[in-house]
Amino acid sequence: MGRPVGSHINGLALLILPSALLFALFFFLPIGLMAVMSLLTGNPVVVPHIAFTTKHYQRLADDSYYLEVIWTTIRIGLWTTLIALLIGYPLAHWMARIKSRAGHALLLMAVLAPMLTGIVVRTFAWMTLLSDKGVINQILLSLGLIEKPLQLMYNETGIIIGLVHIYVPFMVLTLTGVIGRIDERLEQAAENLGASPLRAFFEVTLPLSLPGILAGSLLVFALAISAYVTPILLGGFQIMTLPILIYQQISANFNIGFAAALGMVLLVISFMLVVAYNHMLGLVSGQRELQ
Amino acid sequence: MSAGIEIAEVSKVYEGGVRAVDAVAMEIRAGEFFSLLGPSGCGKTTTLRMIAGFDTPSSGEIRIDGADITRVPAHKRDMAMVFQNYALFPHRTVAENVGFGLRMRKLDKATIAAKVKAALAMVELSGMDDRRPAQLSGGQQQRVALARAIVIEPRVLLCDEPLGALDKKLRQQMQFELKQLQRNLGLTLVFVTHDQEEALAMSDRIAVMNAGRVEQVGTPVEIYDRPQTRFVADFIGDTNIFRGQRVTVDNNGTGIAAGNGLVLELPGPPAAADGAVLSVALRPEKIRLAPKVDTLHPKHASANGTVESTNFLGGAVLYRISLDNGHRVLAQQPNAGAGQLYAPGAPVMLGWTPADLVILKD
Repeated sequence: MGRPVGSHINGLALLILPSALLFALFFFLPIGLMAVMSLLTGNPVVVPHIAFTTKHYQRLADDSYYLEVIWTTIRIGLWTTLIALLIGYPLAHWMARIKSRAGHALLLMAVLAPMLTGIVVRTFAWMTLLSDKGVINQILLSLGLIEKPLQLMYNETGIIIGLVHIYVPFMVLTLTGVIGRIDERLEQAAENLGASPLRAFFEVTLPLSLPGILAGSLLVFALAISAYVTPILLGGFQIMTLPILIYQQISANFNIGFAAALGMVLLVISFMLVVAYNHMLGLVSGQRELQ
Repeated sequence: MSAGIEIAEVSKVYEGGVRAVDAVAMEIRAGEFFSLLGPSGCGKTTTLRMIAGFDTPSSGEIRIDGADITRVPAHKRDMAMVFQNYALFPHRTVAENVGFGLRMRKLDKATIAAKVKAALAMVELSGMDDRRPAQLSGGQQQRVALARAIVIEPRVLLCDEPLGALDKKLRQQMQFELKQLQRNLGLTLVFVTHDQEEALAMSDRIAVMNAGRVEQVGTPVEIYDRPQTRFVADFIGDTNIFRGQRVTVDNNGTGIAAGNGLVLELPGPPAAADGAVLSVALRPEKIRLAPKVDTLHPKHASANGTVESTNFLGGAVLYRISLDNGHRVLAQQPNAGAGQLYAPGAPVMLGWTPADLVILKD
């Protein structure tokens, strides 16, 4: 569709200007600066003689410690996403299909209520539950089910529990929208043709909700790998993730170049995920979307 | 293969006390094209959904070939449904849609492929196997939905206003095709519609429903010519309804005093005691019109009136006539040729035979 460039300027197009400016100033500019910093020997504002270098990335690639940190971050992200999906999907399905308005409102409140409390507060709450002297361990001990306290925090398990709790609402809200738009009559048609309710779910509802599963998973994963507060408090500095490492590089080591390189790695992981998501979406939805 | 259905005193009460279906009883015979006809909200779709198993009756029983299926889940009823919006699986091809029910029945791949091919040929969609529903026109989607339903050779085919979304020409064509398919396959077909013409054209029998109840069950001719209730007479086609006290005419005959001296003679033996209030229906096309000067056959009961408006319909002409007693009636005449129209204001005589008057239950 060749429209002459610049011949007509739609007045409505001007409405996009504020958000375009916002994006340019606070998104592209900082990320651009970060990309540049990750390739410089020092901070150009305070160090007079600087040059381009790839040493930050080399350090990352050469030291298995940093690769281990990256893998830990991704692993925590993957587990958080998977568990949030397994908890969130049934809840979202219930919310999307519940007939009574009051029931829907109650479920929505239940999903949203935790988001009204700060992440720090919720994480401390988990600490009182999960610690060696916490509620869970004390109950299990007094019931005689365990001999000594289970290690529930200051490890990845604790971090994942905390992150799942914080990010399940994002999963549920994303999925509810998608499942709610699936015509219930499609499931009925499947049952009518001889599929049991469970079979109808796997044949019809699940494949049609894949876009929501992908979008929700993407959102939760991206949030989980960039989480800072929860991994610090529930990991107790025993578990090193990328955001914690970046913060250390800046605040303790003043190595802004290396921090920027780590930031770029985090960014690239997220970016690759978005690309993979779009690709997957094209595959599962077939020609439908491509028309 | 095809089965009969008995619906015995079935009611459906929703939360909040809404009675969607109220003590409905009917028998649908094997191999019959049976329509549930009524305005929206009359309970026809709820009745169909209960037959399909998507809704459970609050009371009553649904039997298929004598066996109680009231609590049998939908996927074990061996019925097939064509939905109003077709409910085709958007993520599957035409062939996968049609083959779905066969796959659920665990047939082998070769059999499924052969049956799908035959079903698609039957609805004239051969070669469309690999398309997606979104790539088809409304009429084609309708055919896929039909093929998907009949390919499993269901005991009963259920249709929920399947032709509602099609334009008039296509709808008429599909009416013929569906009717022919039903007859060729000997299918028991339950058809829900609010379109009375569609029901009259296609059905072997019709159940007219109103406010959750069955008003009348009968053949299209019975429903149209012998409506039993005022609702049926009103809902199916145009009708003139007269209401008045029963009187005795000509020594022994029965009549209705419709007001201001108009007495309509009723057929047959006295239907009620003198003085009882009765309603009678008279179809517009049963009324014959003549210029005022002519004399009508003495057997024809008659009235005088003035033409109020003339609607030329093409094959027929519909007149609105104001009778001398103040009543307004509709009269439809076949189009007999040029120049035969009565203009508004023309005085006319109206004639009908008493046998065309139908006494209604209120």
